[in-house]
Amino acid sequence: MTTTTAPAALDRAERIDRTGPPLIHAEGVWKIFGPHADRVLGTPDADLPRAELRAKTGCVAAVRDVSFDVWPGEVFVVMGLSGSGKSTLVRTLIRLIEPTAGHITIAGQDVTAASSADLRQLRRHTVSMVFQHFGLLAHRRVIDNVAFGLEVQGVSKAERLARATEVLKLVGLEDSANQFPDQLSGGMQQRVGVARAFVVDPKVMLYDEPFSALDPLIRRDMQDEVCRLQEETGKTMVFITHDLPEALRLGDRIAIMRDGAIVQLGTPEDLVGSPADEYVANFVRDIPRSHVLTLRWIMRPPAPGEEDGPTLDVRTTVKNAISVIAANERPVSAIENGRVVGVVDRDAVLQAIAGEDG
Amino acid sequence: MSTVDEVVGAVPAPVVLEHRPWWRSRAVLSALVVVGMLAGYYAAKGKYGWPAVLEWSSLKTHLDSFQIWLSDQSNETSPNLFFRIVNGISGGLDTLVRWLYDALTKLTWVGTTVVATLFAWRFGGLRAAAFMAGGLASFAAFGLWDESMQTLSLVLAAVALSLAVGLPLGIAAGRSERFDRALTPVLDAMQIIPAFAYLMPVVILFSVGPGAAVITTMIYSVPPAVRIASLGIRGVPSNTVEAAKALGSTGSQLLWKVQLPLARRMLLLAVNQTILFALSMVVIAGLIGGSGLGDPVTNGLNTNPAVAILAGAAIVIMAIMLDRVTEAIAERTDPTRRHLDEAGRRRARMTTIGVLVASAVAIGVGFAANAGDIYTRYTIADWLIARIQSVLDFIADPTTFSFQHITNPLGNFLTQHILLPLDTFLVATPWFVTVAGFVAIAFILSGLRPALVTAAMLGLIGLVGEWQSAMDTASQVLVATAISVALGVLLGVWAAESEKVSRILRPINDILQTLPQLVYVIPFVYLFPISYVPGMIASVLYAFPVVVRLVERGVRDVAPQAVEAAGAFGATRRQVLLKVKIPLARDAIMLGVNQGIIMVLAVVVIAGLASTPGLGYEVVQGLQRNEFGLGVVASIAILALGIALDRVTRGNQGNRRTREDVS
Ligand SMILES: Nc1ncnc2c1ncn2[C@@H]1O[C@H](COP(=O)(O)OP(=O)(O)O)[C@@H](O)[C@H]1O
Ligand SMILES: [Mg+2]
Repeated sequence: MTTTTAPAALDRAERIDRTGPPLIHAEGVWKIFGPHADRVLGTPDADLPRAELRAKTGCVAAVRDVSFDVWPGEVFVVMGLSGSGKSTLVRTLIRLIEPTAGHITIAGQDVTAASSADLRQLRRHTVSMVFQHFGLLAHRRVIDNVAFGLEVQGVSKAERLARATEVLKLVGLEDSANQFPDQLSGGMQQRVGVARAFVVDPKVMLYDEPFSALDPLIRRDMQDEVCRLQEETGKTMVFITHDLPEALRLGDRIAIMRDGAIVQLGTPEDLVGSPADEYVANFVRDIPRSHVLTLRWIMRPPAPGEEDGPTLDVRTTVKNAISVIAANERPVSAIENGRVVGVVDRDAVLQAIAGEDG
Repeated sequence: MSTVDEVVGAVPAPVVLEHRPWWRSRAVLSALVVVGMLAGYYAAKGKYGWPAVLEWSSLKTHLDSFQIWLSDQSNETSPNLFFRIVNGISGGLDTLVRWLYDALTKLTWVGTTVVATLFAWRFGGLRAAAFMAGGLASFAAFGLWDESMQTLSLVLAAVALSLAVGLPLGIAAGRSERFDRALTPVLDAMQIIPAFAYLMPVVILFSVGPGAAVITTMIYSVPPAVRIASLGIRGVPSNTVEAAKALGSTGSQLLWKVQLPLARRMLLLAVNQTILFALSMVVIAGLIGGSGLGDPVTNGLNTNPAVAILAGAAIVIMAIMLDRVTEAIAERTDPTRRHLDEAGRRRARMTTIGVLVASAVAIGVGFAANAGDIYTRYTIADWLIARIQSVLDFIADPTTFSFQHITNPLGNFLTQHILLPLDTFLVATPWFVTVAGFVAIAFILSGLRPALVTAAMLGLIGLVGEWQSAMDTASQVLVATAISVALGVLLGVWAAESEKVSRILRPINDILQTLPQLVYVIPFVYLFPISYVPGMIASVLYAFPVVVRLVERGVRDVAPQAVEAAGAFGATRRQVLLKVKIPLARDAIMLGVNQGIIMVLAVVVIAGLASTPGLGYEVVQGLQRNEFGLGVVASIAILALGIALDRVTRGNQGNRRTREDVS
């Protein structure tokens, strides 16, 4: 499956803009649910394992000391088992859940310090969100659901319907504009959810396990749809999932959460190539390494005279490189920005593939 | 094999029974207290009534003069601010009710029926229209059109005001957890206090009239409006609310565009319940100037029972009619399920216009034909009353089988062998032994604080000079509660074990609970000519459905793991029921006793209308003979008795472990 998206992934990586400041900056974010949560923070109790903390204080540390940056154009995936704090984390970003501590900046605006009016502006124009259970308004037609975000902004009826129609076309639902949510299939309902988030032209889209409730086949379609939208518009995305193939497929970088904390944050290659601990290793065990690792991961510095073999982009996955490498006696040169940055020979490929079982 | 261990280990903590030696079990301790009371009874039978030193005998006179002072104040040419407000309220309410009644009268019988039926048809569909037309037609046929319209205008006014107060409060409570918590005990109190306890104060402040009737009704019908509205707002899917917030909705956008439309069906059901609660106060409201259908019921109870029964039937028909119509409207106009396209909307608009035009025509025709008194000329009231009377005569005929072998022996048995002995026991036992006994049982069953409250309440009853009457009432309540609980536990357990029984019982329970309280009493006044019995039977009918419901749920909810584990040990179904389910459902049964006793009290005092001796009878006397002091004192005693009985049977609810849940 990575095969088909590989070229897209290559393009996408180029769209990430790391020259300026990050679009989302989260630092030391905590969320503790329960009575007197703020009193727990800063004491040694906060470092207790979740179950012990709960037994001792009645509080649940849903998010603990999470920090990360998301760059413009990036798809940032947060992954973890159910209950690991993903939903809570993504909600603290726009303060649908108030963080207990920490600092969050989005598009230069200090979210944690924002007044409720500022926060509303941020939610209306800068960030929008797609929910696991859709959260559509059952009493409104599809088109009025999509236009809802514009309606709360005070956009005139004619204009918001025109824009909603446009976005409905984009997600392939133009024929269902006058239907009601309960007349649509789950997949179509979530398209409405995506369209509703999209119509306000936000800088950042947050997705909280948007496709978990859908059938596998429809989930694939929807993932393609999101990829396509992302490619066409270059929107920055924070995407929550508990499904590793989905994470690998979409994510430029992936943060793995466990019990509220991030245990590893890196590219798909980092996770598959060198998992930080048992927990992550268990996650990625069934993923074929050759589908994820690229030449950058297995190349070595060229010995003198090796640089004139066939060339491949350094971001090519091992799987896609096999045919070229196998057909050549000489090591293949990995190219980045027109320069040779390393070479890959058959041994390296074999080793990478062999690692799949161990 | 560790399967049994695993299953047993999976039983959630809260259902583990306490282990105490049998001689310390609550039942045995309470029985010991009763034995002690019996000893006191035989040792000093009738020697120690409530002592005069502990009685504030001049209280009634003081209250009477206070009432005179009050009415002087409020009747002054320029009363002070407080009385101006009070008078303003009662005057305004009087006007509102009268205005509604005038409007209904002006529409004439034809106009009212056509307009209401078309309205029901437009928003509720054909079935609703049929109920509306059928109900209105039967009021006319019963010859009770005028009374029905009086009742309807009273109910409409009370419901409109209850909703005006209750819906905003309920919506606020639905949006704020804190507000909801603050409101709940107030609502509980409003619903638990027997209406007879606040009739007198309301009358004293607002004086007899439709205004006082509206206020009394509202005290009872505001709570359901608040509760259901709050539930409705809470029932809006949280992810939808969250999505709307995430798009930057303001609080009022969220309310008007999301929460209210999605809760609309529930809000309309709140209207429905408010109407039913208001209707169940009609008879009581009639006592204090509500007029309408309540009057023939009250008056007829002792003089012309056939008319009372007919009027009672009209109240029931009105309840069913309004229930079905509002429920149909709630379901049919729910915007989350009714999806109109453009054409459908246009059709609906056309229908509305058609309904309006037809209504105008009907009103015009009514006017032109001077249809105002058609119904008085063409009723079947006389025929119906004659039929009812013949049935009553048959029932009351001492020569019939049912009288000789069922109702009379049953009534005699209840009175001679259960009620009167208990009454004598409570009254003749030295007062300090009776008080100590109640307090001790409260302590055993419920704990120290309830015991102290019980002591204070019994003291208050004695202080105001109502010891004797309160013990009369208490004995009726205890017997009726015992019957309700026995019946309720039996049927509840049976219903929990058999889906079929449950299905049969449910609609019966629903009907018994929606009928206005006094309507029960009427037929039994005739079936059981002995004064105590009708009220008790009526209160059993009112209270046992709640016990059934609580017990059924309690037994059903017994953790399936525990049942399974017992099954794994080879227990038979009967053993599982007796040894596992019923003990584990103990809390539910206790709750049933507690709720049942309060409901029984409410009806037992109402039965005072049928001249059953006790506190209720004194309130009626106070109202009907202007003996305000007596009425107020009896009201205080009813309230105190209610609180005492509640505390005695409360159980240790406060200490009961609840499942801890952070979310
Ligand atoms: N409102 C809440 N109150 C208390 N605990 C909560 C609340 N919301 C979530 N939690 C707890 O926080 C933890 C993380 O939940 P969540 O963020 O929903 O996880 P995920 O989305 O990864 O499944 C869970 O243990 C959950 O029980
Ligand atoms: Mg989640």
